[in-house]
Amino acid sequence: MTDKRLDSSTPDEPSGFVRALDERGDATVGTVGQGLAPATTRRANPVSRLIGHPAFGWIVIALAVALPFINSSAYAIRISTDALIFIMLAVGLNVVVGYCGLLDLGYAAFFAIGAYTSGVLSTTFGWPIVLTVPFVIVAAVIGGLIIGGPTLRLRSDYLAIVTLGFGEIIRITANNLDFTGGPNGVYGIPDFGDFGDYRADIATYWIVVVVVGLAVLASSRLGRGRLGRAWRFVREDEDAAEAMGIHTYKVKFAAYVTGAIFGGLGGVLFAVHQTAISPPSFNFLFSALILMAVVLGGMGSTPGVVVGAVIISLLPELLRGAENWRYLIFGILLIVVMIFRPQGIWPHRTDEKPARGGRRRSRTDATEVSQ
Amino acid sequence: MMSTTRIGAVAAAAGVVLALASCGGGGITNSGSGGGGDTKGDIILGMATPLSGSSAAIGPYMKNGAQLAVNEINDKGGVLGRKLKLVVEDEACDPKTAAAAAAKLVTEGTMVSVGGYCSSATLPTLSIFGKANIPMIIPAANSNDLLKGNNKNVFLLNGTGAQQAQAAVDFMKKSGAKAVALVDDNTSYSKDITTRTAEDAKGDASLKIATQQSVTAGESDYSAAVTAIMRANSDFVYWTGYYQEGGLIIKQLKAAGYKGKIMVADGSVDKQLITIAGQDNAQGVYATMTQTPQTIPGGDGWIAKYKAAFNADPGPYSTQSYDAVRVAAEAIKNAGSTDGTKVIKALEDINGFKIFSGNLKFTPEHTLTEGGFDILVVKGDQFVLNK
Repeated sequence: MTDKRLDSSTPDEPSGFVRALDERGDATVGTVGQGLAPATTRRANPVSRLIGHPAFGWIVIALAVALPFINSSAYAIRISTDALIFIMLAVGLNVVVGYCGLLDLGYAAFFAIGAYTSGVLSTTFGWPIVLTVPFVIVAAVIGGLIIGGPTLRLRSDYLAIVTLGFGEIIRITANNLDFTGGPNGVYGIPDFGDFGDYRADIATYWIVVVVVGLAVLASSRLGRGRLGRAWRFVREDEDAAEAMGIHTYKVKFAAYVTGAIFGGLGGVLFAVHQTAISPPSFNFLFSALILMAVVLGGMGSTPGVVVGAVIISLLPELLRGAENWRYLIFGILLIVVMIFRPQGIWPHRTDEKPARGGRRRSRTDATEVSQ
Repeated sequence: MMSTTRIGAVAAAAGVVLALASCGGGGITNSGSGGGGDTKGDIILGMATPLSGSSAAIGPYMKNGAQLAVNEINDKGGVLGRKLKLVVEDEACDPKTAAAAAAKLVTEGTMVSVGGYCSSATLPTLSIFGKANIPMIIPAANSNDLLKGNNKNVFLLNGTGAQQAQAAVDFMKKSGAKAVALVDDNTSYSKDITTRTAEDAKGDASLKIATQQSVTAGESDYSAAVTAIMRANSDFVYWTGYYQEGGLIIKQLKAAGYKGKIMVADGSVDKQLITIAGQDNAQGVYATMTQTPQTIPGGDGWIAKYKAAFNADPGPYSTQSYDAVRVAAEAIKNAGSTDGTKVIKALEDINGFKIFSGNLKFTPEHTLTEGGFDILVVKGDQFVLNK
């Protein structure tokens, strides 16, 4: 983002304002042209044609649903559920970091708020889990308002520091309050319900597949709506966006609160899945891992972020055979990926680009260059 | 058209998930799961223990202790004519990793679990082993929270926080302490002991809790806690955290001119405590500790065997892990089967089986009848039994 602003001050490049106008024009054309123009004119290789095929997503969802019929071992179901919950968090953070460009280093806080709200209501008060969901959403939104209200007026690095602090505050508060069980946390969290003959972990897995599937779809749709464009505009150049009449504070708030809700709902799934939650699960490392999933996959790209989340979540498990070496190997692999694909594994592509592609200046953004 | 591309998102997710689905099958209903009742092949004992992360040092001690017992039993012909096999998975002292490790152990056919070090990481594994009807003999984790779910498959082989607190209060009374300062590091294990010590001390008029402090682990300056202890005129300090911070607190207390007694809980019983505090400062520091081969008569032989097998010294929870395997073998032998329900029944019926902490008999809550806590004292560069 900083590069952008530097670029705009060099004489050869158009000013941020001009580029903003350009971008706005893109957005308008994109809106008007939706459904008319083919999305891309580039020749696709077989792989991208396969993953770009309309049925691909549905096939994968079907496979996810079918997993218990293929391998019903407790371990496979366990780590697959873990991975799905992690996807939920990554697409939530993608709204904040990927779409809107707000660097959030304390995202695990919302995850913790969701898990604790759901956990406390279901154990202390004996509520069924489903009934706790509305309260989790309310709690996450309140959390988002409290932290977002004063801090979203800050930019980039400052916002990162404040969110980092917020993440730690939530964890340490949970560690010191009585009703959150202090350092012991909350345990004995019930399942979603009684599923008769079906194994409880598999029933939970299916529920998680559905919830996460919807979340991924929602997050991807949000990114392409009017609000999504406003988010990207703010990410690219906040001043220009404001000049064009976008209420940047409100728009950033919307991104932040949306992310908070995704995180909170992820927390509910986590609480049910783990049956016991305690403060160490919500440390800074966890926030960093979610952010890593977003960056690794490709910021702003929903399929990329999903792939990133799956990798970050499953790699340490798949490396179990390497025993003590596994985190070293994990780290090295991540570094290698970031060296050879700095834009992420499956980077974002601007939907509305081709409409005026021929006349456009080449863009400087790394994600664009990669195409 | 783009919308369908994006759905590919969900896709990729499941795609890699699917990569895992290379083996196994069937059993999505309850009737299809559950196990342990087979009669052929090795008897598999599963252990989740930290092999990475902040407590990684403990893992090898527990693993070797358990392996030693497995080797001994196999040399004598195994159990029910079958060999024992120990499967170890990393729990990293992290709840999420521990839950995955437990699920992996269940999938690998564990019949009895003999692992569990960090209490907070062991809690989420209870329901996983419970649903698979696998008995858990937990060698190290000892938070009372592990028992609150009334899971009938859970047995604690380590003395509980309540028993340690009782041993501590008994010693405080015996040593004539008047004003006690309790210091914990705000972790589940540590806080459990201070809370219970404070409760136990309430029943006694002569014993006053002068101050209760919680410090943050991993810092280097504990002067705030030390000042509070000095201001409260304490004559007895009980530290219930781990040795790293314990050593620093002892050092800083002595530097501040503290003259009273100091006692530490079992998490601090390690030679490192003496090194960090400085040997002079650590002299006469007491400790509440379960029995170890170093402190029981005749333990030297066991240490020699351990050294011969692994070319390393035994450490914390080596003995408990060794005992966990022996208790598991005994219960399977008595049950005549590896069926979870029968083994649990056999564990409940064990009476007088000899383990390091004394004669084993589980209470109705599945804890040790005798906590087996001794008071140790620092002499020279090690902890010896206080006589």
